[in-house]
Amino acid sequence: MSAPWFLGIDVSNTQTALGVFDGDVLRHHWTLQTDPARTADEYGVLLRSLLERAGCPPIGAVAVASSVPAMLPIVDALCRDVVGCPPLVVGPGVRTGMPILYDKPQEVGADRIVNAIAAYARTHGTTIVVDLSTATIFDFISARGEYVGGVIAPGLGIASDALFERTARLYRVELRRPKHVIGRNTVHAIQSGLVYGYVALVDGIVERMQQEAGEQARVLATGTYAELVAPESDTIDEVDPFLTLKGLRLLYERNKEKG
Amino acid sequence: MFLTPLLETRGSSVPEAVAICSVVPAVTQTLVEWATRILGVETAVLGPDDAGVERIRYDDPWQLGMDRLANALAAYARTRAATIVVDCGTATKFEFVDSEGTYHGGAIAPGLGIAGDALFARAARLYRVPLVAPARVIGRNTVHALQVGLLHGHAAMIDGMVARIQSETGVASRVIATGGFARLLAPLCRRVHEVVDFLTLDGIRLIFEQRQEKKNKSNELSK
Repeated sequence: MSAPWFLGIDVSNTQTALGVFDGDVLRHHWTLQTDPARTADEYGVLLRSLLERAGCPPIGAVAVASSVPAMLPIVDALCRDVVGCPPLVVGPGVRTGMPILYDKPQEVGADRIVNAIAAYARTHGTTIVVDLSTATIFDFISARGEYVGGVIAPGLGIASDALFERTARLYRVELRRPKHVIGRNTVHAIQSGLVYGYVALVDGIVERMQQEAGEQARVLATGTYAELVAPESDTIDEVDPFLTLKGLRLLYERNKEKG
Repeated sequence: MFLTPLLETRGSSVPEAVAICSVVPAVTQTLVEWATRILGVETAVLGPDDAGVERIRYDDPWQLGMDRLANALAAYARTRAATIVVDCGTATKFEFVDSEGTYHGGAIAPGLGIAGDALFARAARLYRVPLVAPARVIGRNTVHALQVGLLHGHAAMIDGMVARIQSETGVASRVIATGGFARLLAPLCRRVHEVVDFLTLDGIRLIFEQRQEKKNKSNELSK
Protein backbone atom coordinates (compact mmCIF):
# COMPACT_ATOMS: atom_id res chain seq x y z
CA MET A 1 0.00 0.00 0.00
CA SER A 2 1.61 3.21 -1.14
CA ALA A 3 1.52 6.51 0.70
CA PRO A 4 -1.25 8.94 -0.23
CA TRP A 5 -0.50 11.44 -2.95
CA PHE A 6 0.52 15.04 -2.35
CA LEU A 7 -0.98 18.14 -3.98
CA GLY A 8 1.08 21.33 -4.42
CA ILE A 9 -0.59 24.63 -5.30
CA ASP A 10 1.48 27.60 -6.52
CA VAL A 11 -0.66 30.73 -6.73
CA SER A 12 1.14 33.41 -8.68
CA ASN A 13 -0.16 36.77 -9.85
CA THR A 14 -1.48 35.60 -13.20
CA GLN A 15 -1.66 31.82 -13.05
CA THR A 16 -2.05 29.09 -10.47
CA ALA A 17 -0.09 25.87 -11.00
CA LEU A 18 -1.20 22.62 -9.41
CA GLY A 19 0.76 19.38 -9.29
CA VAL A 20 0.13 15.97 -7.76
CA PHE A 21 3.04 13.86 -6.53
CA ASP A 22 3.22 10.13 -5.93
CA GLY A 23 6.18 10.04 -3.54
CA ASP A 24 8.72 12.36 -5.16
CA VAL A 25 7.40 11.85 -8.69
CA LEU A 26 5.27 14.58 -10.24
CA ARG A 27 2.41 12.61 -11.84
CA HIS A 28 0.12 15.33 -13.18
CA HIS A 29 0.12 19.09 -13.36
CA TRP A 30 -2.37 21.75 -14.42
CA THR A 31 -2.52 25.50 -14.74
CA LEU A 32 -5.55 27.61 -13.82
CA GLN A 33 -6.13 31.32 -14.01
CA THR A 34 -5.58 33.19 -10.73
CA ASP A 35 -8.83 35.03 -10.09
CA PRO A 36 -9.83 36.07 -6.56
CA ALA A 37 -13.32 36.82 -7.90
CA ARG A 38 -13.86 33.07 -8.31
CA THR A 39 -15.23 31.12 -5.38
CA ALA A 40 -13.87 28.03 -3.64
CA ASP A 41 -16.91 26.18 -5.01
CA GLU A 42 -15.96 27.06 -8.58
CA TYR A 43 -12.33 26.07 -8.11
CA GLY A 44 -13.62 22.92 -6.37
CA VAL A 45 -15.55 21.81 -9.44
CA LEU A 46 -12.44 22.37 -11.58
CA LEU A 47 -10.05 20.59 -9.24
CA ARG A 48 -12.33 17.61 -8.65
CA SER A 49 -12.81 17.04 -12.36
CA LEU A 50 -9.09 17.43 -13.06
CA LEU A 51 -8.21 14.88 -10.37
CA GLU A 52 -10.91 12.47 -11.52
CA ARG A 53 -10.02 12.67 -15.21
CA ALA A 54 -6.38 11.95 -14.35
CA GLY A 55 -7.49 8.98 -12.26
CA CYS A 56 -5.69 10.22 -9.15
CA PRO A 57 -6.05 8.24 -5.91
CA PRO A 58 -7.15 10.25 -2.87
CA ILE A 59 -4.86 13.15 -1.97
CA GLY A 60 -3.45 12.91 1.54
CA ALA A 61 -1.80 16.29 1.94
CA VAL A 62 -1.57 19.68 0.33
CA ALA A 63 0.75 22.72 0.52
CA VAL A 64 0.26 26.20 -0.91
CA ALA A 65 2.56 29.08 -1.82
CA SER A 66 0.69 32.24 -2.72
CA SER A 67 1.81 35.63 -4.05
CA VAL A 68 -1.79 36.84 -3.94
CA PRO A 69 -3.09 37.31 -0.39
CA ALA A 70 -6.73 37.48 -1.57
CA MET A 71 -6.48 33.91 -2.89
CA LEU A 72 -5.54 32.33 0.45
CA PRO A 73 -9.02 32.03 1.98
CA ILE A 74 -10.30 30.61 -1.33
CA VAL A 75 -7.52 28.02 -1.54
CA ASP A 76 -7.94 27.15 2.13
CA ALA A 77 -11.64 26.43 1.64
CA LEU A 78 -10.90 24.57 -1.59
CA CYS A 79 -8.44 22.23 0.16
CA ARG A 80 -10.78 21.53 3.08
CA ASP A 81 -13.53 20.71 0.58
CA VAL A 82 -11.66 18.61 -2.01
CA VAL A 83 -8.74 17.15 -0.04
CA GLY A 84 -10.46 17.06 3.34
CA CYS A 85 -7.75 18.87 5.25
CA PRO A 86 -6.38 22.40 5.49
CA PRO A 87 -3.25 23.12 3.41
CA LEU A 88 0.20 23.82 4.73
CA VAL A 89 0.54 27.50 3.83
CA VAL A 90 4.10 28.66 3.20
CA GLY A 91 4.69 31.64 5.45
CA PRO A 92 5.81 32.63 8.93
CA GLY A 93 5.95 29.63 11.27
CA VAL A 94 6.64 27.07 8.55
CA ARG A 95 9.97 25.25 8.88
CA THR A 96 12.02 25.86 5.75
CA GLY A 97 15.35 24.35 6.84
CA MET A 98 16.92 27.33 5.09
CA PRO A 99 18.33 30.33 6.98
CA ILE A 100 16.87 33.50 5.46
CA LEU A 101 19.25 36.45 5.52
CA TYR A 102 16.65 38.97 4.30
CA ASP A 103 16.20 42.08 6.48
CA LYS A 104 12.65 40.94 7.25
CA PRO A 105 12.38 37.20 6.47
CA GLN A 106 8.57 37.39 6.37
CA GLU A 107 8.89 39.81 3.45
CA VAL A 108 10.31 37.20 1.07
CA GLY A 109 7.55 35.87 -1.19
CA ALA A 110 6.52 32.27 -0.47
CA ASP A 111 7.25 31.25 -4.08
CA ARG A 112 10.82 32.55 -3.76
CA ILE A 113 11.52 30.49 -0.62
CA VAL A 114 9.99 27.40 -2.20
CA ASN A 115 12.03 27.86 -5.41
CA ALA A 116 15.19 28.32 -3.36
CA ILE A 117 14.55 25.12 -1.40
CA ALA A 118 13.96 23.07 -4.54
CA ALA A 119 16.98 24.55 -6.32
CA TYR A 120 19.38 24.01 -3.44
CA ALA A 121 18.13 20.45 -2.97
CA ARG A 122 19.16 19.89 -6.58
CA THR A 123 22.54 21.67 -6.64
CA HIS A 124 23.83 21.56 -3.03
CA GLY A 125 25.92 24.59 -3.95
CA THR A 126 25.80 28.30 -4.72
CA THR A 127 22.70 28.80 -6.83
CA ILE A 128 20.78 31.53 -8.59
CA VAL A 129 17.11 30.87 -9.38
CA VAL A 130 15.50 32.91 -12.15
CA ASP A 131 11.71 32.73 -12.17
CA LEU A 132 10.41 34.27 -15.42
CA SER A 133 6.71 34.86 -14.81
CA THR A 134 4.54 37.94 -14.11
CA ALA A 135 7.68 39.35 -12.52
CA THR A 136 11.22 38.20 -13.32
CA ILE A 137 12.59 37.20 -9.94
CA PHE A 138 16.19 36.31 -9.09
CA ASP A 139 17.16 34.55 -5.84
CA PHE A 140 20.66 33.95 -4.58
CA ILE A 141 21.37 30.91 -2.39
CA SER A 142 24.80 30.59 -0.78
CA ALA A 143 26.98 27.45 -0.88
CA ARG A 144 25.85 26.73 2.70
CA GLY A 145 22.23 26.83 1.69
CA GLU A 146 21.29 30.26 3.02
CA TYR A 147 18.75 32.40 1.22
CA VAL A 148 20.77 35.59 0.72
CA GLY A 149 18.42 37.86 -1.26
CA GLY A 150 17.59 38.76 -4.79
CA VAL A 151 16.23 41.01 -7.49
CA ILE A 152 12.71 41.67 -8.83
CA ALA A 153 12.23 42.99 -12.37
CA PRO A 154 9.09 43.34 -14.52
CA GLY A 155 8.11 40.13 -16.32
CA LEU A 156 8.37 39.73 -20.07
CA GLY A 157 4.61 39.40 -20.56
CA ILE A 158 3.47 42.42 -18.55
CA ALA A 159 6.26 44.61 -19.94
CA SER A 160 5.28 43.74 -23.50
CA ASP A 161 1.58 44.35 -22.71
CA ALA A 162 2.59 47.78 -21.43
CA LEU A 163 4.47 48.50 -24.65
CA PHE A 164 1.40 47.87 -26.77
CA GLU A 165 -1.01 49.61 -24.42
CA ARG A 166 1.06 52.74 -23.89
CA THR A 167 2.40 53.51 -27.35
CA ALA A 168 0.19 54.71 -30.20
CA ARG A 169 1.75 52.99 -33.19
CA LEU A 170 3.10 49.70 -31.83
CA TYR A 171 1.09 46.52 -31.95
CA ARG A 172 1.20 43.09 -30.36
CA VAL A 173 3.58 40.63 -31.99
CA GLU A 174 4.10 36.92 -31.63
CA LEU A 175 6.69 36.28 -28.90
CA ARG A 176 9.41 34.53 -30.84
CA ARG A 177 13.08 34.91 -31.50
CA PRO A 178 13.78 36.85 -34.72
CA LYS A 179 16.74 35.85 -36.90
CA HIS A 180 18.59 39.14 -36.45
CA VAL A 181 19.07 41.49 -33.53
CA ILE A 182 18.77 44.49 -35.86
CA GLY A 183 15.15 44.40 -37.00
CA ARG A 184 14.35 45.88 -40.41
CA ASN A 185 10.63 46.05 -39.79
CA THR A 186 8.50 46.85 -36.76
CA VAL A 187 7.56 43.23 -35.99
CA HIS A 188 11.18 42.07 -35.99
CA ALA A 189 12.32 45.15 -34.07
CA ILE A 190 9.79 44.46 -31.28
CA GLN A 191 10.54 40.72 -31.22
CA SER A 192 14.23 41.52 -30.93
CA GLY A 193 13.68 44.04 -28.14
CA LEU A 194 11.45 41.68 -26.18
CA VAL A 195 13.30 38.38 -26.59
CA TYR A 196 16.95 39.49 -26.84
CA GLY A 197 16.22 42.36 -24.45
CA TYR A 198 14.98 39.93 -21.79
CA VAL A 199 17.82 37.50 -22.38
CA ALA A 200 20.20 40.43 -21.85
CA LEU A 201 18.36 41.48 -18.69
CA VAL A 202 18.61 37.97 -17.23
CA ASP A 203 22.26 37.44 -18.19
CA GLY A 204 23.25 40.91 -17.02
CA ILE A 205 21.62 40.56 -13.60
CA VAL A 206 23.04 37.05 -13.10
CA GLU A 207 26.52 38.31 -14.00
CA ARG A 208 26.21 41.29 -11.69
CA MET A 209 25.05 39.04 -8.82
CA GLN A 210 27.93 36.61 -9.37
CA GLN A 211 30.38 39.46 -9.52
CA GLU A 212 29.11 40.90 -6.25
CA ALA A 213 29.15 37.50 -4.55
CA GLY A 214 32.61 36.79 -5.93
CA GLU A 215 31.66 33.29 -7.05
CA GLN A 216 30.05 31.41 -9.88
CA ALA A 217 26.63 30.00 -9.17
CA ARG A 218 24.60 27.26 -10.82
CA VAL A 219 21.71 29.02 -12.57
CA LEU A 220 18.27 27.38 -12.65
CA ALA A 221 15.41 28.96 -14.59
CA THR A 222 11.71 28.32 -14.18
CA GLY A 223 8.42 30.08 -14.98
CA THR A 224 6.31 30.87 -18.01
CA TYR A 225 9.07 32.38 -20.17
CA ALA A 226 11.98 30.15 -19.12
CA GLU A 227 11.84 28.01 -22.27
CA LEU A 228 11.80 31.11 -24.50
CA VAL A 229 14.73 32.86 -22.83
CA ALA A 230 17.02 29.94 -21.85
CA PRO A 231 18.20 28.85 -25.35
CA GLU A 232 19.65 32.33 -26.02
CA SER A 233 21.00 32.92 -22.52
CA ASP A 234 24.71 32.57 -21.74
CA THR A 235 24.14 32.12 -18.02
CA ILE A 236 21.18 29.75 -17.53
CA ASP A 237 22.45 26.20 -16.89
CA GLU A 238 19.16 24.38 -16.57
CA VAL A 239 15.39 24.87 -16.92
CA ASP A 240 12.94 23.18 -14.56
CA PRO A 241 9.34 24.23 -15.22
CA PHE A 242 8.19 22.51 -12.02
CA LEU A 243 10.68 23.95 -9.55
CA THR A 244 8.04 25.63 -7.38
CA LEU A 245 5.81 22.54 -7.20
CA LYS A 246 8.81 20.37 -6.30
CA GLY A 247 9.81 22.83 -3.61
CA LEU A 248 6.32 22.69 -2.13
CA ARG A 249 6.59 18.93 -1.76
CA LEU A 250 10.03 19.19 -0.11
CA LEU A 251 8.77 21.83 2.26
CA TYR A 252 5.80 19.68 3.19
CA GLU A 253 8.09 16.70 3.88
CA ARG A 254 10.31 18.84 6.11
CA ASN A 255 7.37 20.00 8.16
CA LYS A 256 5.85 16.54 8.40
CA GLU A 257 9.10 14.93 9.59
CA LYS A 258 9.78 17.50 12.24
CA GLY A 259 6.14 18.14 13.01
CA MET B 1 -3.00 74.48 -26.98
CA PHE B 2 -0.46 76.09 -24.69
CA LEU B 3 2.50 75.90 -27.05
CA THR B 4 2.33 79.60 -27.89
CA PRO B 5 2.51 80.69 -24.20
CA LEU B 6 5.39 78.23 -23.73
CA LEU B 7 7.36 79.97 -26.46
CA GLU B 8 6.57 83.32 -24.82
CA THR B 9 7.69 82.29 -21.32
CA ARG B 10 11.19 81.65 -22.60
CA GLY B 11 11.24 84.91 -24.54
CA SER B 12 11.55 82.96 -27.73
CA SER B 13 10.67 84.81 -30.90
CA VAL B 14 8.15 83.21 -33.23
CA PRO B 15 10.02 80.57 -35.24
CA GLU B 16 10.33 80.91 -39.00
CA ALA B 17 9.30 77.33 -39.55
CA VAL B 18 7.99 74.34 -37.64
CA ALA B 19 9.06 70.74 -38.31
CA ILE B 20 7.00 67.97 -36.76
CA CYS B 21 8.12 64.43 -36.07
CA SER B 22 5.20 62.47 -34.65
CA VAL B 23 4.64 58.86 -33.62
CA VAL B 24 1.16 59.69 -32.31
CA PRO B 25 -0.99 60.13 -35.42
CA ALA B 26 -3.88 61.56 -33.37
CA VAL B 27 -1.97 64.70 -32.39
CA THR B 28 -0.13 65.34 -35.65
CA GLN B 29 -3.00 67.28 -37.21
CA THR B 30 -3.49 69.42 -34.08
CA LEU B 31 0.15 70.45 -34.21
CA VAL B 32 -0.06 71.24 -37.91
CA GLU B 33 -3.07 73.46 -37.30
CA TRP B 34 -1.35 75.25 -34.46
CA ALA B 35 1.74 75.95 -36.57
CA THR B 36 -0.07 77.02 -39.71
CA ARG B 37 -3.11 78.85 -38.30
CA ILE B 38 -1.87 80.30 -35.02
CA LEU B 39 1.80 80.85 -35.71
CA GLY B 40 1.22 81.20 -39.44
CA VAL B 41 4.61 79.83 -40.43
CA GLU B 42 5.91 77.21 -42.82
CA THR B 43 5.11 73.78 -41.40
CA ALA B 44 6.53 70.39 -42.33
CA VAL B 45 5.46 66.96 -41.09
CA LEU B 46 8.68 65.07 -41.65
CA GLY B 47 8.71 61.77 -43.51
CA PRO B 48 11.44 59.34 -44.52
CA ASP B 49 11.81 60.96 -47.97
CA ASP B 50 12.96 64.17 -46.26
CA ALA B 51 15.87 62.26 -44.77
CA GLY B 52 16.61 60.45 -48.02
CA VAL B 53 15.15 56.97 -48.43
CA GLU B 54 18.38 55.85 -50.11
CA ARG B 55 19.99 56.03 -46.66
CA ILE B 56 17.33 53.81 -45.03
CA ARG B 57 17.63 50.02 -45.16
CA TYR B 58 14.30 49.41 -43.41
CA ASP B 59 11.92 47.07 -45.32
CA ASP B 60 9.38 49.88 -45.57
CA PRO B 61 10.78 53.32 -44.61
CA TRP B 62 7.22 54.63 -44.19
CA GLN B 63 6.63 52.17 -41.35
CA LEU B 64 9.65 53.48 -39.49
CA GLY B 65 8.98 55.89 -36.59
CA MET B 66 10.46 59.26 -37.56
CA ASP B 67 11.84 59.72 -34.03
CA ARG B 68 14.02 56.67 -34.61
CA LEU B 69 15.36 58.04 -37.87
CA ALA B 70 15.91 61.49 -36.33
CA ASN B 71 17.94 59.88 -33.55
CA ALA B 72 20.04 57.85 -35.96
CA LEU B 73 20.83 60.80 -38.23
CA ALA B 74 21.58 63.20 -35.37
CA ALA B 75 23.91 60.63 -33.81
CA TYR B 76 25.73 60.07 -37.09
CA ALA B 77 26.09 63.83 -37.57
CA ARG B 78 27.96 63.91 -34.25
CA THR B 79 30.13 60.82 -34.67
CA ARG B 80 30.60 60.40 -38.44
CA ALA B 81 31.13 56.73 -37.53
CA ALA B 82 29.14 53.55 -36.97
CA THR B 83 26.84 54.34 -34.06
CA ILE B 84 24.20 52.70 -31.89
CA VAL B 85 21.55 55.00 -30.40
CA VAL B 86 19.62 53.98 -27.30
CA ASP B 87 16.55 56.14 -26.71
CA CYS B 88 15.26 55.50 -23.17
CA GLY B 89 11.72 56.86 -23.31
CA THR B 90 8.25 55.26 -23.16
CA ALA B 91 9.86 52.47 -25.17
CA THR B 92 13.58 51.78 -25.14
CA LYS B 93 14.64 51.88 -28.78
CA PHE B 94 17.92 50.82 -30.35
CA GLU B 95 19.09 52.10 -33.75
CA PHE B 96 22.11 51.18 -35.81
CA VAL B 97 23.67 53.53 -38.35
CA ASP B 98 26.81 52.39 -40.19
CA SER B 99 30.05 54.27 -40.88
CA GLU B 100 28.60 55.60 -44.17
CA GLY B 101 25.58 57.07 -42.40
CA THR B 102 23.15 54.43 -43.64
CA TYR B 103 20.37 53.48 -41.22
CA HIS B 104 19.89 49.70 -40.88
CA GLY B 105 17.13 49.22 -38.31
CA GLY B 106 17.04 48.32 -34.66
CA ALA B 107 15.01 46.98 -31.78
CA ILE B 108 12.15 48.15 -29.58
CA ALA B 109 11.78 47.06 -25.96
CA PRO B 110 9.39 48.19 -23.21
CA GLY B 111 10.65 51.35 -21.50
CA LEU B 112 11.77 51.58 -17.88
CA GLY B 113 8.75 53.63 -16.80
CA ILE B 114 5.97 51.58 -18.38
CA ALA B 115 7.56 48.25 -17.42
CA GLY B 116 7.78 49.43 -13.81
CA ASP B 117 4.18 50.68 -13.85
CA ALA B 118 3.05 47.30 -15.18
CA LEU B 119 4.86 45.48 -12.39
CA PHE B 120 3.25 47.53 -9.64
CA ALA B 121 -0.18 47.31 -11.27
CA ARG B 122 -0.09 43.55 -11.83
CA ALA B 123 1.77 42.05 -8.87
CA ALA B 124 -0.41 42.01 -5.77
CA ARG B 125 2.33 42.25 -3.15
CA LEU B 126 4.67 44.72 -4.85
CA TYR B 127 4.57 48.48 -4.51
CA ARG B 128 6.08 51.50 -6.21
CA VAL B 129 9.63 52.37 -5.18
CA PRO B 130 11.76 55.48 -5.83
CA LEU B 131 14.02 55.00 -8.87
CA VAL B 132 17.36 55.07 -7.07
CA ALA B 133 20.02 52.38 -7.47
CA PRO B 134 21.00 50.78 -4.15
CA ALA B 135 24.66 50.06 -3.32
CA ARG B 136 24.32 46.27 -3.65
CA VAL B 137 22.91 44.14 -6.43
CA ILE B 138 21.64 41.25 -4.31
CA GLY B 139 18.77 42.96 -2.52
CA ARG B 140 18.00 42.01 1.07
CA ASN B 141 14.64 43.71 1.16
CA THR B 142 11.81 44.20 -1.33
CA VAL B 143 12.57 47.88 -1.99
CA HIS B 144 16.20 47.18 -2.90
CA ALA B 145 15.28 44.07 -4.88
CA LEU B 146 12.85 46.13 -6.97
CA GLN B 147 15.23 49.05 -7.41
CA VAL B 148 17.96 46.73 -8.69
CA GLY B 149 15.52 44.84 -10.91
CA LEU B 150 14.23 48.01 -12.53
CA LEU B 151 17.46 50.02 -12.86
CA HIS B 152 20.22 47.41 -13.16
CA GLY B 153 17.79 45.20 -15.07
CA HIS B 154 17.20 47.89 -17.65
CA ALA B 155 20.89 48.82 -17.78
CA ALA B 156 21.77 45.15 -18.31
CA MET B 157 19.19 44.95 -21.07
CA ILE B 158 20.77 47.98 -22.78
CA ASP B 159 24.33 46.62 -22.44
CA GLY B 160 23.30 43.20 -23.69
CA MET B 161 21.42 44.56 -26.70
CA VAL B 162 24.36 46.82 -27.58
CA ALA B 163 26.74 43.85 -27.32
CA ARG B 164 24.52 41.76 -29.58
CA ILE B 165 24.22 44.53 -32.17
CA GLN B 166 27.99 45.01 -32.09
CA SER B 167 28.62 41.31 -32.60
CA GLU B 168 25.97 41.00 -35.35
CA THR B 169 27.49 43.93 -37.28
CA GLY B 170 31.10 43.11 -36.40
CA VAL B 171 31.69 46.77 -35.54
CA ALA B 172 32.55 48.20 -32.12
CA SER B 173 30.16 51.09 -32.70
CA ARG B 174 30.02 54.24 -30.66
CA VAL B 175 27.00 54.22 -28.28
CA ILE B 176 24.90 57.32 -27.59
CA ALA B 177 22.01 57.31 -25.12
CA THR B 178 19.17 59.82 -25.09
CA GLY B 179 15.62 60.09 -23.76
CA GLY B 180 14.05 60.77 -20.37
CA PHE B 181 15.70 57.89 -18.51
CA ALA B 182 19.14 58.15 -20.15
CA ARG B 183 20.87 60.15 -17.38
CA LEU B 184 19.47 57.78 -14.75
CA LEU B 185 20.54 54.61 -16.57
CA ALA B 186 23.84 55.55 -18.23
CA PRO B 187 25.93 55.42 -15.02
CA LEU B 188 24.75 51.81 -14.54
CA CYS B 189 25.55 50.82 -18.13
CA ARG B 190 28.96 49.58 -19.18
CA ARG B 191 28.67 50.11 -22.91
CA VAL B 192 27.18 53.60 -23.23
CA HIS B 193 29.80 56.21 -24.20
CA GLU B 194 27.80 59.40 -24.08
CA VAL B 195 24.40 60.85 -23.13
CA VAL B 196 22.95 63.50 -25.45
CA ASP B 197 19.77 65.00 -24.07
CA PHE B 198 18.08 66.47 -27.11
CA LEU B 199 19.22 64.10 -29.82
CA THR B 200 15.76 63.69 -31.37
CA LEU B 201 15.18 67.45 -31.60
CA ASP B 202 18.60 67.84 -33.16
CA GLY B 203 17.71 65.16 -35.69
CA ILE B 204 14.44 66.90 -36.54
CA ARG B 205 16.36 70.10 -37.25
CA LEU B 206 18.84 68.20 -39.45
CA ILE B 207 16.14 66.45 -41.44
CA PHE B 208 14.26 69.72 -41.88
CA GLU B 209 17.41 71.40 -43.19
CA GLN B 210 17.91 68.57 -45.67
CA ARG B 211 14.34 68.96 -46.77
CA GLN B 212 14.81 72.70 -47.34
CA GLU B 213 17.99 72.08 -49.32
CA LYS B 214 16.23 69.59 -51.56
CA LYS B 215 13.36 72.00 -52.02
CA ASN B 216 15.67 74.88 -52.94
CA LYS B 217 17.48 72.68 -55.44
CA SER B 218 14.31 71.57 -57.13
CA ASN B 219 13.05 75.19 -57.19
CA GLU B 220 16.27 76.27 -58.91
CA LEU B 221 15.96 73.46 -61.43
CA SER B 222 12.43 74.45 -62.31
CA LYS B 223 13.38 78.10 -62.84
